[in-house]
Amino acid sequence: MIIARNLHKIYGRGLAATSALKGIDLAINSGEFVAIMGRSGSGKSTLLHLLGLLDMPTCGEIYIEDTDVLKLSERERARFRLGRLGYVFQEYSLLGELSIWENVYLPALCSTHPSDYKKRAAAMLGIVGLGKRLTHYPGEVSGGEQQRVAIARALINEPRTLLADEPTASLDVTSAKVVLELFQKLNKDLGQTIVMVTHEPEDEKYVDRVIWLEDGLIIPGSNNN
Amino acid sequence: MKYISVKSIMGNLAITLFLAYKSILKGNRWVPILLVLVMAFSFVNLIFTASIITGVMRTMDKQLVDAVYSNIVLNPEDDDYYIDHVSQVQKQIEQAPGVAGASTHLDSSAFFEYQWKEKQTQTDKGKSGTWKVIGINPEQEANVTTIHNQMIEGSYLTEDDRDEIVLGVEIAGGDITQTEAFLTLGGVKAGDKVRLTYPDNIQREYTVKGIFRARELQADLVAFVTQKEMASVLGRNIFYDRASQILIRSEPNIDENILIAEFRDMGIKGEIRSWSEYGGAMRSTISTFEIIGSLINGVGLIVATIVMFIVIYINVINRKRQIGIMRAIGIAQGTIIGSYLVQALFYAGSGIALGWIVVRFLLLPYFINNPLDLPIGLVSLTVQPLTMGSSTAGLILAAILAGVIPAWAIMKQSIIKVIWGT
Repeated sequence: MIIARNLHKIYGRGLAATSALKGIDLAINSGEFVAIMGRSGSGKSTLLHLLGLLDMPTCGEIYIEDTDVLKLSERERARFRLGRLGYVFQEYSLLGELSIWENVYLPALCSTHPSDYKKRAAAMLGIVGLGKRLTHYPGEVSGGEQQRVAIARALINEPRTLLADEPTASLDVTSAKVVLELFQKLNKDLGQTIVMVTHEPEDEKYVDRVIWLEDGLIIPGSNNN
Repeated sequence: MKYISVKSIMGNLAITLFLAYKSILKGNRWVPILLVLVMAFSFVNLIFTASIITGVMRTMDKQLVDAVYSNIVLNPEDDDYYIDHVSQVQKQIEQAPGVAGASTHLDSSAFFEYQWKEKQTQTDKGKSGTWKVIGINPEQEANVTTIHNQMIEGSYLTEDDRDEIVLGVEIAGGDITQTEAFLTLGGVKAGDKVRLTYPDNIQREYTVKGIFRARELQADLVAFVTQKEMASVLGRNIFYDRASQILIRSEPNIDENILIAEFRDMGIKGEIRSWSEYGGAMRSTISTFEIIGSLINGVGLIVATIVMFIVIYINVINRKRQIGIMRAIGIAQGTIIGSYLVQALFYAGSGIALGWIVVRFLLLPYFINNPLDLPIGLVSLTVQPLTMGSSTAGLILAAILAGVIPAWAIMKQSIIKVIWGT
């Protein structure tokens, strides 16, 4: 379960200060597939960055699976991200010097139990439909395929929570559909909690619930379970 | 618990090495090539400059030994002007183990004149000057100095020469002297006549048998006659078995101080000193060179360090986004910093190895076969272990800083800022 209380995020200082989040309270149940939607600048990516421990809020609390994650040290946050969160970025975020297989097994290699990591990575790439392209490098596959590799990488350590920041934004319609169906399948089959930021209204049909953000606040009534 | 932590450390090391290996192998191929070349040239530059300066100092030292003092100088005791019973002392010295030869000197000074018959008046100084004249036994002298091999005109003395003299090039004058023409005899040639006026107005005319150039100013400002001739000038009976000093050549690799202690144990009286103690003015020149050398080396090391730091720094900064992604997926900071440290050490190590190969197999053989012909003599590269060590250590330290500092600085920034630059 993910719980956020009174989350604020202010960028800059003094006159240049911009308030991206103005007091977010939300709760996402385990196994839910939730979309965070809103206009550009509504704070949805900022919220996901905070939930993914990629950035720190100005104030507020975040609990993920009963852990007060903001009280963790930098080292503990890294370990938490590695083992318990999967994160899919908006743009391609693979390491260009590693093959897609290596990109996927790197987090497994870094985990505390790196057994069979190569086999698991190959299996994961099989799930996202890239089982035959293990030795290819990111530059040698399409954007949609790169995003699927990123999803496989996010899932390799079997995290309970998958966070995805506009994962279909840079994909064509067909690739986007493949990715969203894959999320749906993972959510149904593995019971994974998925929080996805999107601005595409048609993505609504894939998710259990939509949280609408506007001007750094949740639109009243949109956070109901 | 201990096992787990060792395993964890080894695991982190393996990931560090894996990331570094992939980055070097699969990154832009020009980056490692250029980095290694920059490192190699920085290393060669450091070694080359230091080695040339060391080579100059070694040549200057060698010139002092070969042309002026040999290895050890025996002078009379403080109260005496001469060493008495010199043949006996010389025999004693030559019998000591580690001694390659000894040569006695009978010194005087004289007023030299060239083309004196062409003087217009009594007060006309003409081509003249006062220099040191040393009476030598040519055969013995050849065992302790190398002046006999440095004749540029004519030939060296033989034992029975009486009315012949050998001049240093700075006395003879000519086109290749370091001193100004008016301070020399103005271009004496072998076969010309010179007139010497010794103390007590004893005048002798000599034929110049040869002119030598030792490339050492002290040596080139001296003239040689045979010891028999000098004894006859100073007073044959009195100076028959006397000498002003004895030069002693030691066998190669013999410590001069041990030999000096040996002479003292043998009861040899006099002031016994090694050539380095007599270096005097030359020592200060060499010390100046040493200081300049250290400064140039220090500046060179700083420049090389900065160049390398900038190149590696830019390389790391260009991978800022990659570092952000690695942090985002949860790779430990130590592992990421470690991978950049390993890369920097790889570039430094490869550059130093390449630089060493260039020095060892290209520059050293070249300069040994083609030494630089400088006014002080032939100068070759002299690579000292200390120079190698300090240059290597300096560059490796620079590589460590260049690898760690930018990666560490990136770790201090927000992951989002690192990835998206916002």
